[in-house]
Amino acid sequence: MRIKKNLTAMKWFYSYLKKYRWKMFVGLFLVTITSVLAIINPRITGFIVDDIIGDGTNIRIDLLPKFLILMITVTVVRSLLRLLFLYLFETASQDMLYDMRDGVYRNLLLKDFAFYNRSRTGDLMSRQTGDMMAIRHFVAYVIYNIYENTLLFVIALFMIFSVDWRIGFAMVAVLPITAFMTYSQSKAIRPKFMHIRDKFSSLNAFVQENISGNRVVRAFAKEDFEIEKFDKENADYRDSELDAATVWTKYIPIFIFLSHLLTFMLMVAGGIMCIYGYMSLGNMVMINSYLWMLSNPLMMMGWLINDYHRFTTSVEKIFATITQKPDIQTPRYPKEVDKIKGDVEFRNVSYVVDDEPVLHNVSFHIKQGQTVGIIGATGSGKSTIMNLICRFFDTTEGEVLMDGINVKDLDLHRLRDGIGIAMQDVFLFSDTIEGNIAYAEPDCSFDKVKWAAKMADADDFIMQMDEGYDTVVGERGVGLSGGQKQRISLARALLKEPSILILDDTTSAVDMETEAEIQRDLKKLQGHTVFIIAHRISSIKDADVILVVEDGRITESGTHDELIEKGGYYRKVFDHQYGEFDTIKKRWKEGA
Amino acid sequence: MARNRIEQDEELDSGFDIKQLKRLAGYVGPYKKDLSVAVIIMVISSAISMLIPIFMKNIMDVITETVYQNGHTPDEAVRLILINAFSSLAVGFTCALIMRYKIILTSRVGQGVIYRLRRELFVHLQELPFSYYDDKPHGKIQVRVVNYVNNLSDLLSNGIVNTITDMFSLVFILIFMLYLNVRFTLICLCGLPILTAIVLFVKNRQRRAWQIQSNKQSNLNAYIAESINGIRVTQSFVRENKNTQLFNQLNGDARTAWMNAVKYNFILSPVIENITVVTTSVIYVLGIGWLINGETAITVGLLTAFAGYVSRFWQPITTLANFYNSLLTAISYLERIFETIDAPVNVKDKEGAGIMPEIKGDVEFKHVKFSYDDGVEILHDINFKVGAGESYAIVGPTGAGKSTIVNLISRFYNVDSGEILVDGIDISDVTIKSLRKQMGVMMQDSFIFSGTIMDNIRYGNKEATDAQVVAAAKTVCAHDFIMSLEDGYETQVNERGSRLSAGQRQLISFARAVLADPKILILDEATSSIDTETEILLQKGLQEMLKGRTSFIIAHRLSTIKNSTCIMYVDQGQILEKGSHDELLKIPDGYYHNLYDSQYAFLNA
Repeated sequence: MRIKKNLTAMKWFYSYLKKYRWKMFVGLFLVTITSVLAIINPRITGFIVDDIIGDGTNIRIDLLPKFLILMITVTVVRSLLRLLFLYLFETASQDMLYDMRDGVYRNLLLKDFAFYNRSRTGDLMSRQTGDMMAIRHFVAYVIYNIYENTLLFVIALFMIFSVDWRIGFAMVAVLPITAFMTYSQSKAIRPKFMHIRDKFSSLNAFVQENISGNRVVRAFAKEDFEIEKFDKENADYRDSELDAATVWTKYIPIFIFLSHLLTFMLMVAGGIMCIYGYMSLGNMVMINSYLWMLSNPLMMMGWLINDYHRFTTSVEKIFATITQKPDIQTPRYPKEVDKIKGDVEFRNVSYVVDDEPVLHNVSFHIKQGQTVGIIGATGSGKSTIMNLICRFFDTTEGEVLMDGINVKDLDLHRLRDGIGIAMQDVFLFSDTIEGNIAYAEPDCSFDKVKWAAKMADADDFIMQMDEGYDTVVGERGVGLSGGQKQRISLARALLKEPSILILDDTTSAVDMETEAEIQRDLKKLQGHTVFIIAHRISSIKDADVILVVEDGRITESGTHDELIEKGGYYRKVFDHQYGEFDTIKKRWKEGA
Repeated sequence: MARNRIEQDEELDSGFDIKQLKRLAGYVGPYKKDLSVAVIIMVISSAISMLIPIFMKNIMDVITETVYQNGHTPDEAVRLILINAFSSLAVGFTCALIMRYKIILTSRVGQGVIYRLRRELFVHLQELPFSYYDDKPHGKIQVRVVNYVNNLSDLLSNGIVNTITDMFSLVFILIFMLYLNVRFTLICLCGLPILTAIVLFVKNRQRRAWQIQSNKQSNLNAYIAESINGIRVTQSFVRENKNTQLFNQLNGDARTAWMNAVKYNFILSPVIENITVVTTSVIYVLGIGWLINGETAITVGLLTAFAGYVSRFWQPITTLANFYNSLLTAISYLERIFETIDAPVNVKDKEGAGIMPEIKGDVEFKHVKFSYDDGVEILHDINFKVGAGESYAIVGPTGAGKSTIVNLISRFYNVDSGEILVDGIDISDVTIKSLRKQMGVMMQDSFIFSGTIMDNIRYGNKEATDAQVVAAAKTVCAHDFIMSLEDGYETQVNERGSRLSAGQRQLISFARAVLADPKILILDEATSSIDTETEILLQKGLQEMLKGRTSFIIAHRLSTIKNSTCIMYVDQGQILEKGSHDELLKIPDGYYHNLYDSQYAFLNA
């Protein structure tokens, strides 16, 4: 979904409602009919009382059945129509909500890493839950209530004017006051609802993190500290609600008073006019019978204003989230390519985030089918290089070329389709192991899943589990050890059979022997470009090229032997990890 | 219980009964006073508002008397009219004022109740074992704490006050009606059995429908949460389309479930409306009949008055029906909330558990057996003893049970049999908090909270000064990279650890563990993502810090553990070898020996 320019939050909302506008119109039409019918029944009652019963001396019993049947029919029809319009508004709101959730979901999928790095999960969830509910309430309930009340008010005014225009003008006198109150309540309540939404989001985000981080909380026995912080969030949210309530405790009574003021005005003006013969008593009785149609809407007014602003705040919140434009997008006219081959070149690439340089002037060229080892200190920029290849970020300077084409000119999906990445921190979904491995191709054959698992040396431990590949792993793969998770994540990447395979520290939690086996398996892959980021020399020793990254620069590159010869960073790491190799070699010889 | 997947509805064991309603009342209990005041003033308000029609009638009477019967002079009539009009205005003013206090009171009660309910839920969640969190998608737990609780607020404040107020007016009207005419009242009451029958007929379906709805909503929310957390994987695996499809399945389920449930809520109002009009008609028919037959008890005034009261009688019943509707809706949420509050806490303090004295650091496993919920034994008869200040390394293939062993020391799980002693005290005899406070655990996944880096490290000890935090960061060699960030220690990070590398996140959680000044330090693959050079520096810093502390280290890089006092080789839930690095290397063809050599095997290739 591309967001059009000049779109306001309300236009955005309407773009969803538009599809169901006919349902809404029909619904509102039915509301009109039921409102009119609502006026008919009291009239029938009045007629029965005045004309059929009268003073009891001359009861027109012959007319009674006709009127009773009419009264019952009107009620039955009215309640059926009411059911119908309730149903219409409800389906319209649910259908619209479905579309809207879908739209927001798709929009969130398009957001880049930078967006997710600055947003809290709980905040984003609030957009899809609490805010959606406020919108639902508005479409299903508030719209027709506003309409119904306005309609009643207008009909009543019209009726009153037709009976006596002077009283009509007296009644209209409350309108400016009402308008002013509406305006001033709206102005007062808006910031309060914004505040509520913020506090709700914040509470949501806090709870979400507490649940995700439950292990750390337990490990540090910080439950009390968490409860203390929660109490603050919980109280802040409560106070924001109570704070908003103070606004309507001020305005709602005013609207109620205004509705009583109408009665008062009829009493005074109507009474005096009757006394001095400017109006008949009958007219006054009639106006009195319309009075509820004026005062009910006024009593509802304050609440409806509330609901309306709850709704607009939510719409604005969602709108603000979805209109944050991702920097990373597929170009309008991507270069046509069949399939990524796997030739990767960095040309003077620099990457700066928040004024902190992460990569400086990095250049290298990896040909299709080569295996590249990358080693370097924590935070030196290794993963950033991978993220630039996948175009999760854009370079600040220089360019990343894939098969000779700048990645910015490629279709994003096409690019990423060609890359299989097993990330540093493994994220597994709450699904079966099979479902997790087949993430890229949910419909692929079981044989293929098994093949990928075998390649990643995961098949054995999976088969040892009670339910094998059907074992459901919890969110983030709880229940699996770090090494097991890494191997599933590797299998997931391999199943894609990508042209470029990226292993970002994927075997750090895997024991040596297993790692060696995985490496043997990986060698079987032909024609794939493989990037291996690792800290263990054993993981990258056999690579065609080894790049050493220090402080965002490539300081050494070459084969294992060349780098050992060179005596730089790589040599130092090697010596630390395998310094004892000579003595061991000796022992082996002795043993042999 | 098997793990719950997102699209799977959670089963609900306990049905809803009156006990749960009573329990809910328990939360409203402390606000009894506020609620009573609210009800009283509302009853007053509805009583005095009945005066307004009387004032209007008075005015009409004055007009009639003045215009048709010359009973008053115009001036006197105006005076009477004004008196009545101002009285009516005064009543209106009072009603408005009462409304003001009603809103204040009910908001206080509603927000207060959900504040307490939510707090209780949260506090209980802090006690629930890992397995509770492991078994279900986190999004499903989340909605209970945040969204479900919110759904109850209106019911528990306005709902209760309006219901009680309406019950009062119902009683008043009934008494009044009986006083006017018993026969008419009985006719009017004939509608009630019909209403009851319909309510009973619908009740179970309605409840079930709302339960399904809350399940579907919960599935949808869980999927949203997971989609956000797994966005990196989704984007790199280009799964957007498939995920949208799955999302929309859940989205559609939620819509269908809602429409199914909500239609039951539509039924009651029209039913009542139709019952009202039918009973009114019957009263007219019979009433007029009796009138014509000349029954003395029936007068024209009585008949017309009564026809008016019929609708007044049914109006509060409509409010009650609406309350009933929202109660049934709310119950489907309430059940889930109570279910969570009632979830058993497996790992909890024994009755009369003491405080763990300051730990010296002896740790002993005696015949420890352990299995997770599924009953498959993970550890078989584990025995070992660690002296205070010693450092123990655990090695072995992935999935061997290494993490399980260290998790048991912190009593994250209870052992099946055998015992774990710290300084000779069985850890199940002391409070969990006093035990864990003295231990520092660094787990495989490093979790970073939203906030500054300073806050994240300080999580280990919230009383620590800035200087202490910096010192801890220096110990684990995190200081330099933190200072290189734009805002240093004040740099904002979040859960997904924005822009920190995995190694940097490990260093931060390492610093957190160090700051806790633990007597026992557990490092579960704490340095797997840290480069070798940093690790060397880190170990130097740690050696100083580890003096006098017991430590357990799980690692795959053997350079990390070579210097440990003792190394245990664990596989298939058993300790297969134990000894120092040098001792173990002397065992020909030993497990550790082979493992060690395998590190070098590739160099020989």
